[in-house]
Parts: sequence; C-alpha cells; structure tokens
Amino acid sequence: MTPRIIHANLGVRLRSFYRERSAMFFTFAFPVILVLVFGTIFTKPEHLNFDLPVQDNSGSAASARLLEALAAGAAFRVVVVPVAVDATQYAKDHKLNLLLVIPKDFEALQKQRVAGAQAGVPVPIRYVYDPSSTAVETKIQLLDGVVAAANQTAAGTPPALTLVAASILSKRYRFIDFFVPGIIAMAIMTSCLSNALNMNAELRQKGILRKLATTPITRADWLASSIVYQLILSVISTVAILLVSYFVFDVRLHIGFWLPLIIVVEVIAFVGIGMLLTPFAKEAESASAVANAFLFPMMFLSGTFFPVEMMPAFLQAFAKLLPLYYVNEALRSAMIFVDDAATLRAVAVIAAFAAVVFVAGTFKTRWDEST
Amino acid sequence: MIMTSTGPAIVVDRLRKRYGAFTAVDDISFTVEQGEVFAFLGPNGAGKSTTAEVIETIRAPTSGTVTVLGMDVGKRKAQVVRRIGVLPQNFSSFDRITVRESLQYYARVFGCDADIDALMDLTNLRDRSAARFNTLSGGLKQRLGIAVALVNDPEILFLDEPTTGLDPQARRQVWDVLKGLKDRGKTVFLTTHYMEEAELLADTVAIISRGRIVAIDSPVRLTEAHADQMRLTLKSIDAAAADLLRNLGFAPVPVGEGGLCVPVETPDDVRRILDEIAASGLALGGVDVRKPNLEEVFLKLTAAKPATDVGDHAR
Ligand SMILES: Nc1ncnc2c1ncn2[C@@H]1O[C@H](COP(=O)(O)OP(=O)(O)O)[C@@H](O)[C@H]1O
Ligand SMILES: [Mg+2]
Repeated sequence: MTPRIIHANLGVRLRSFYRERSAMFFTFAFPVILVLVFGTIFTKPEHLNFDLPVQDNSGSAASARLLEALAAGAAFRVVVVPVAVDATQYAKDHKLNLLLVIPKDFEALQKQRVAGAQAGVPVPIRYVYDPSSTAVETKIQLLDGVVAAANQTAAGTPPALTLVAASILSKRYRFIDFFVPGIIAMAIMTSCLSNALNMNAELRQKGILRKLATTPITRADWLASSIVYQLILSVISTVAILLVSYFVFDVRLHIGFWLPLIIVVEVIAFVGIGMLLTPFAKEAESASAVANAFLFPMMFLSGTFFPVEMMPAFLQAFAKLLPLYYVNEALRSAMIFVDDAATLRAVAVIAAFAAVVFVAGTFKTRWDEST
Repeated sequence: MIMTSTGPAIVVDRLRKRYGAFTAVDDISFTVEQGEVFAFLGPNGAGKSTTAEVIETIRAPTSGTVTVLGMDVGKRKAQVVRRIGVLPQNFSSFDRITVRESLQYYARVFGCDADIDALMDLTNLRDRSAARFNTLSGGLKQRLGIAVALVNDPEILFLDEPTTGLDPQARRQVWDVLKGLKDRGKTVFLTTHYMEEAELLADTVAIISRGRIVAIDSPVRLTEAHADQMRLTLKSIDAAAADLLRNLGFAPVPVGEGGLCVPVETPDDVRRILDEIAASGLALGGVDVRKPNLEEVFLKLTAAKPATDVGDHAR
C-alpha cells in the first residue's frame, strides 16, 4: 500500500465526483431530502395517537369520567361505537384490532368497590381484540395503564402502587430522532455500495482497469483508496444530515467518539461487500441492478425507516443477519440511548463482518485477470 | 539500483493461452531486440492482444515463458511494470479528468516526476491540456494514451492497435508521433491490422493468424520472400491487347473500366510489354506499376484454408 498512489487515486476520484452533479445529488442531497420529507410527515403529533373504539354500554357519569381520562392521556383518540351493536361482530366488520367495551353496570360495580363491599374485585372492562395483530399488544399495555389510573382516580382511593412510566430512553424521543441515525447508516451504505459497483463497472467497461493493471497500483492500493474516498463522502453526508435535522427538526443526538468510529467500520464493511460483488456487476446496467438488489431489502428490513420490532418474528430474525441492522443498532445505541455496552456489541459485529468480507475478498480472482 | 540490460527486450518461448477450450494463442515463440519496432500484424481475433497482454503481465499464460528485459513476467510483475509503457487497445481514461490531470495522475502512480509539458509537446496535445477526456476526439484520445504510456520513461512501449478507428488524418498524426519515438530508439511492440502501418514503422513484422505466427522477418524481406511478382496495370486498353499479351507468354487479368492487370517478373518485362503495345498501335489510357507489398503477403499467408480439403481426404 503506497500513500502516494492512494493520494493520486483520491485526487482523481474526488475531482470526478465533484464534476458529476448527479452523483453529488444522490450522495448528499437525497438523504437530506428523505430527512426533510419523513421528518415533516411524522413529527405531526396526531400520528403518535392510536384510535380507540369504545362501546360505552353504561352511559353513566363514571364511564364518562373514564372516557375523559382516556382521551386526556394523549395516547388515544376515543372513537365512539354505537351501543346497539354486537361488539365482536362490529370489530370484525370494521377490521378493528381492539375495541373497548364498558359494561352496563360499570357505575354500580365501581360504587360497590368503593364501598368496600367487594374490595379487590376488579371492575370488568372487556377488550375485544384481534390476537393476530402485532400492534395490539402495545395498545393493550398502554390501555391497561390508563384504565388503571383512571379507575383509581374515579374510585377516589390513592393507588397502593403507582406505576411511573419510566422510559428506557435518556429523554423522550420522537420518530425523527429515531429516523436520523437510520438515514445516516443508509446514506453511507448506499454511497459505498453503489459508487463502488458503478465506478468499477465503468472502469472495467471502458478498459481503464486494463490500463491500471499495467501500472504499479495494487489491489490493496485500490481498496485503500476506495475506503478513504468513501470516508470523505460519508463524513460530509453525515454532517449535512445532522445539521439539517438539528436546524429544521431540532434533533439533538449524542455525538461522541462512537460516531466517527461507526462510520469507519461501516465504510470498511460496505466497501468490502462492494468488492465481493464486482464480479456480478461487470456492466454499468447490471451494477445498479446488483446494488439495488442489496440495498432495498437491507434498507427496509434493517430498521432504517421503522423499528425492526414492528416486524413479524421471522423477519426480525432475518434482520439480525444483515450488517445494516447492526449499524443502525450501533448508531442508535450511541446517539439516542447513549449506551456504550450496546454500541460496542454492535460495532464488534460490524467489525467482525468486515473482517470476514476482506478475507473472502482476498481469495477472489486476481485483480488483473478479473479485468 | 541501476539495471542496464543488454539482452533482448522481449523473449517469448512456446507461449500458449487458452480461454476455456478455445486456444487463442497457440505455441508461439519470438524475440524482440532492444531498440527495434516489432509489429504484430494479424486480422481481428488472431491473438494479438492476448499475446501483448501476457507480455504486459496482465494475463497469465496457459503454458510457455515470457521474459521482459531478462525478467520472468509471471514472477516479477512489479518490476516489469515499472519499465514498460502500455497503450491498451481502445485506450480510455477518466471521463471528467483533463489531459494534464490524467498525465499527472499516471506520473504520480508511477512515482516519477515526468515532464508533463514535454510529453504533451511530443504528442501534440499542448493546446488541449485543459480538455476533459470525454470531450476529446478519437485521435486525441489515442495520443493522450501514448503520452500516458510514456510517463515512466519506459524501456519498452506496447501499442495495441494505436490507429484503429481513426480517420486518415488522425492516423497520420499518430504515425508522426510514433516515428518520433522510433527515431529516439525506443523499443516498440506494436500490434496492428494495417499493413501500411507495419510497413511504415516496423523493423520486424510477425504475421499472426489464428493464434500462430505464420511469418516473421523485416517488411522488405517478407515481401521479397512471399510476393514474388510485380503487377503492371494497363488502363483503358483495347480489348485486343489481352490476346497479344497471352501470345507473349503473360497471363493478363481484366480489371475495372476496360483495364488489364499483368503479373510480371522484372522491369524488362514491363518495357517489353509497353514496346509491343506501342508497335501494334493499340490505344492505352495509362500505366501503373506496383511493387509487391505487404498486403499481398498478408492476404496470402492469412487466407483461410478451404475447410473442404479435410472432408475430401476423409472420403
Ligand atoms: N477473455 C476472453 N475470454 C474468451 N475468449 C477471449 C477472451 N479474450 C479474447 N478471446 C478470444 O481470443 C481470440 C483472440 O483475441 P485477441 O487476442 O483479442 O485478438 P486480436 O487482438 O488479435 O484481435 C479471439 O477469438 C477472442 O474472441
Ligand atoms: Mg486486439
């Protein structure tokens, strides 16, 4: 590996990049636009609420108080279901995954409870729910909390135990806070993979690789140049994303030594993958196809746009095989949760992955014959 | 470390290269001396580039050995590469990089401070030094390729079809550059399918056909050895002349616009024919005498053998 050669390669690649406006756009502007678009859509507060259909068979002052408490919680928007209908049938007909049923004798039961006649006996509130829905569990948990609190207030007895909603997060975070690290990881991955594949296909197709093979440039020089080049682009892109999200959405993420370290391991891992994929992308046309075949599943399954926990179990298991999942984990652990141990674990996985890719790559075809 | 090599520039010994089951280069051997221009002449697909690329260290031979300046190309790629300059077939550089930047790039890669301006003067590129590669014409691209091949002041220059696809004027400009290099005594390994180019530039010509060398010698000796006749062309001549010439023992062949082409042995034959025509008073539009040239040798040596030969013998 010769610094002089790496320097020469960088000069040519950065100049080419700077003089190619469309490459500039896709590398720098595109991720920023994604942040702006998704940020605008998802920071509206009502998107954080769930609709909660309620059938109030009691129609009493007590049930009104409960509904009030539910609506006040900000987590739910109460939707009234007519009393006359059968709750189960209604839920089926309207494809509701959860429906809350307040019984006719709600007030009476509550009074009995307060009177102490039946102390400890819970007031039965029925949920009609669809167990096949993945989101329903979260809703029920939230609902349980609100109902319990509301019930206690209604009963006028101070709770023996208060459940304080202590978030695992260092502060309350919004969708956009979650989204920005995902976009950083995605932007770096996309740039490394598609630039590497397209550049290689172009150089091969035009015979520049054949010329380079007759110079003292080695494969190691070439890889090192690609890594440094991608690092430069990745740092610029990351700074742009962070600045825009700070100034537009007031996203304040924790930026420490982990961020540059994660960028370095991510770049190495994805430049390595690009190197392994070049034999399948000999022409410019196949290069973008091959790149996309990797990028899209990776983007959607690794938790870039939404938490992997929202996916069915088998997809979650699959996500854990994808390198981008660990980059997302690392970035979020470092920048949102400020959890060094979790960050280190994720970084170690990416580093191991990069090492495997490079060992595999050195067994691949020789750089000259492959041209 | 100063290495002065006194031996041959290139020695190729029983080189064979297969692509799968297909043999592109079949057991060829030759030597290129230092300071000579060696032309590898052959039709498309003959195996010229394959041979050149094995010598340039970028393809591994199937069998045989290749030595460049005394070094085995398979074992000492790193050293060989520093002492040769290569213009690959269809040379191309980075699209958005200028002529000067391309030259600077390759000079840096080789780690030598080449005189970029002198290289641009030599290849007549000075006034296009700020032009990006994708704006250059074919001839300028090739000249840049030659300049790039010279950045490390190589002892051997490889030029793979330097003028293919160029218009006649651009071709002539490339030839001017190459003649300049020849005058400076560079060893040049040139592949081409233009006889004119080989005849004009080469000290030695190897004719390659379907992976085998079918003749190798200086252009003059090749012509002497393989094309034994001159051709006299009589333009717009009276039809009766054909009989007259046959009676004199020649074998005239009709050519376009009432002309006759007559293979002859010596200049005396030419004088005799013209005297006879003058004596018989036949009209004659014009005369053209052509020395045998490399083209005839080439066509004769690379002509496909009729495939039916084999079938006939089998019967
Ligand atoms: N990489 C390759 N794989 C398979 N066949 C090849 C390859 N390169 C060249 N050939 C074949 O080998 C023969 C010689 O090619 P080449 O050396 O490029 O010929 P030339 O330069 O004389 O036109 C051709 O028939 C060509 O199709
Ligand atoms: Mg060729």
